[in-house]
Amino acid sequence: MAIHLNRRTMLALAGAGAVSLATPLAAQDTELRLAFIPQENPEKLLGDIEAITGWLSEQIGVPVEGFVTIDHAAAVEALRNGDADISFMGALPFVLAAAEIGAVPLLSEVYRGAPSYTGRIFVRRDNGIDGLADLRGRDIAFADPISESGYLYPLAEFVEAGLVEGPGAAEEFFGRVFFAGGYQQAMQAMAEGLVDAAGASQYADLLLTPEQQAEVTWIAESEPIPSHLVIARAGLDAALRDRFADAMMQLNEPENRDKLRYLYGPDGYVRADPAAYDGVRDMARRYGLLE
Amino acid sequence: MRDFMGVLLATLASVLVLSGPVAATPAKEAPWLPEAAAYRLTLFLGNLEPLPWDDVETAWTEPYRGSEFSTGAVEWLDRESDIAPDGLLDAMTREDRQAVFAEATRLIVLRIEEELDRALAAEEPATAQQAMRTARELYRAFENGIAAADPEAARRIGLAWLELNSSTGSAGVLGAGATSADRDTMAAARATISGYLVENYLLDSFAPRQTLSALPETAVLSGRAIEVPPNLPPGSDIFDQDPLPRLVLNFEEQGIDETDLPLVAYGDMLFDSAQVFGSPARDLGLACSTCHNRSDVNQRLFIPGASHQPGAIDVDGAFFNPIFNDRRDDPIDIPSLRGLRFTGPYGRDGRFASLRDFTRNVIVNEFGGDEPTPFMLDALVAYMLEFDFLPNSMLTTDGRLTDATPEAALRGEEIFNRPFTGLGDRSCASCHVPDANFLDRQAHDIGSVAPAYEGARAGALDTPTLLGTTYTAPYFHDGSLPTLAAVVDWFDETKSLGLTGAERADLTAYLEAVGAADEPYEAFDAENTAFRLAFSELTTFASTLDTLLPLRDAKHILLLTDTVAADLAADASTMSNLAARPEVYALAERLAEVGAAVRVEDWAAAEASWTAFKSEADAIEERAF
Repeated sequence: MAIHLNRRTMLALAGAGAVSLATPLAAQDTELRLAFIPQENPEKLLGDIEAITGWLSEQIGVPVEGFVTIDHAAAVEALRNGDADISFMGALPFVLAAAEIGAVPLLSEVYRGAPSYTGRIFVRRDNGIDGLADLRGRDIAFADPISESGYLYPLAEFVEAGLVEGPGAAEEFFGRVFFAGGYQQAMQAMAEGLVDAAGASQYADLLLTPEQQAEVTWIAESEPIPSHLVIARAGLDAALRDRFADAMMQLNEPENRDKLRYLYGPDGYVRADPAAYDGVRDMARRYGLLE
Repeated sequence: MRDFMGVLLATLASVLVLSGPVAATPAKEAPWLPEAAAYRLTLFLGNLEPLPWDDVETAWTEPYRGSEFSTGAVEWLDRESDIAPDGLLDAMTREDRQAVFAEATRLIVLRIEEELDRALAAEEPATAQQAMRTARELYRAFENGIAAADPEAARRIGLAWLELNSSTGSAGVLGAGATSADRDTMAAARATISGYLVENYLLDSFAPRQTLSALPETAVLSGRAIEVPPNLPPGSDIFDQDPLPRLVLNFEEQGIDETDLPLVAYGDMLFDSAQVFGSPARDLGLACSTCHNRSDVNQRLFIPGASHQPGAIDVDGAFFNPIFNDRRDDPIDIPSLRGLRFTGPYGRDGRFASLRDFTRNVIVNEFGGDEPTPFMLDALVAYMLEFDFLPNSMLTTDGRLTDATPEAALRGEEIFNRPFTGLGDRSCASCHVPDANFLDRQAHDIGSVAPAYEGARAGALDTPTLLGTTYTAPYFHDGSLPTLAAVVDWFDETKSLGLTGAERADLTAYLEAVGAADEPYEAFDAENTAFRLAFSELTTFASTLDTLLPLRDAKHILLLTDTVAADLAADASTMSNLAARPEVYALAERLAEVGAAVRVEDWAAAEASWTAFKSEADAIEERAF
């Protein structure tokens, strides 16, 4: 997926303000800044951002501004230094951001009826690989080292199976371990036969062509991983935070559901349950990402 | 990783690897970067005869159709790159095909090199990865050529991209999980990629190209015959239209099961089969139903160089069957096939009296297929003759409006039947005869076709029905009029009808009432999905094996199993019940086993696999959504 940020790490776009609807506001809650993370083409994302921030402005009563960051890490940095009030975020970067800068979980995304998903180990059906042990000495592609479903959880399956001693020891079991840059790249490398297996989200095979999808299968599935979420920086005015979360929950209403496509296309949102992310914290500790 | 959501959007990035029968289930491509898109379009358009130079220029100056980028390649390069496309623009001005190919090819390599330079020079891993991804996306421009000519090099380069991405390091999050770049590995991987690209695509001069393709120069110079699987350029759209038109089959409305009509069911299968066509249509998965969704039209179909607008296609151009290329840029708006048994003669100008002749012409001449067997033509015709018009409660069977019709339409009915001097004292109804399905089965020159040459009398077109037309915009043979209101305006102006504004609105309301339908589109819900519809159709097609296996009709059995097994597996990718996908793949394999057994004339095994298929299909049906 091309990620091209026009030589700038940030690109700001003002959302349509609807200040006239606002109740009198305290100094600190006169606007809301949202950080978005590009998944494909930032230009398209900018259009989406314009559409959703305009609507949010009307709902919340303060100007809402959205901007694109280069990745999760940059979004967390933006929360830390106050450039962003709210960010869309994966579960792993969230638990790191919560530990380091006190980021607050607001909403979890819902896909196919659940605010969770899994990671899987995919292989080609004609490759003669029936179980994880068959991958000894073979090559695998993961999505990214900072990815819960595209690395941490799938690799943990090998640890659970007693094949890999622990995080950091993967190279001793596999032939080569690659980080392909995303689910799609990892899956494509597997489907084309560049590697023998791919570790990615349970839905990642949908990124392959219909013909390729018929040619691949999965041999292991992780425990449920809490889905991506919407988080706020520590110190954001609680009333404004609540108004934002309330507005986002309205996206679940039938008349607003069409707007979800501007926000990475979840089926909806639920209020985030901080405890749901404890498992990710444990996982992050096991990988030495969290103390 | 944000692309958890991206996965669910099911955006696909690969060039299709073609092996075995190709299913008529198109794959959505990932967005192309502007200059890579322009390059792919240039290769495609450069192979058309006559070469559409205006389209080539547009490919570089405007975003490709459906692009997610708001700028064309030239402007994009100006913004993103230090590489100037002056040489390319000059070659386009001179309309020098070989020079355009050479300049464009070099430009893409230079862009890849530029991004790789940036990746290696970047201090921040995120910046390096961004540049590397851009380079990788640009590499897609050459990928299918390298894969076709030199699979070993394709693999080596594929691994180098993996190596490169893995060695750029990671900034982690707030320092957690940070890893530093492995510069030596990055440089080595880059050398593998750049070495091949420079040797094959960054040349001062290229061997003359009869066919433009992304084949590497060393492969071209080798003189080996290398077949690059056909592909469509960026901006193409062969997906079915959404919403999907509702199919009204005469037998079905009478409660007759298609499985009891094996000839019709086999024709239904052929209508959905790309196997009846020749390459490139067959390899691209194009079938009759690609243009005629559910017997109607496909308003979104678009192929650059062959379509002048969505829903139109030039079937006798250079792309589908070069020997049938009439060298005229004359795409036509796809006509609906509803009510086909009442709408002959066939073709926009009514040049075929026989539907069978017309169908053979489509298969053999327009789409380069082998001569169909008499059985195939009989089956296709039998199926297509079942296409009925959409039920419309605003019309009586003899074409008069009912009480359910709006007042304006009733006023319009009078205008429709009013003789006009500008129409030679005839009315609209003289040709669009209400009690004859709103047509007269004759060709008239109404002045909608520009004469092909001075003195030409070739502008007469077959009167089209008005039934169902509310859903088939745009209008006229070339789709030049966007709405029924525009059609009314056209007649009013060109035929000096002298209608008032109110009369035009009434006449439009009448046309909209005549062209309306009670249920124009298929209705889907959580379980009654597009896949369930496809599953039901495909298993119905397969039911013709009950007739064909006892006849030991290997040719037609194989045509069926090749089509249906591939389609069933490919369509599984559209299932919402993801858990049941493996069962559908297994079912598709079962049908492929029938074909495999027939190929070796093991009829007992074929019968056994077919019996197993039927019971497994029954067992899965409930979960097939």
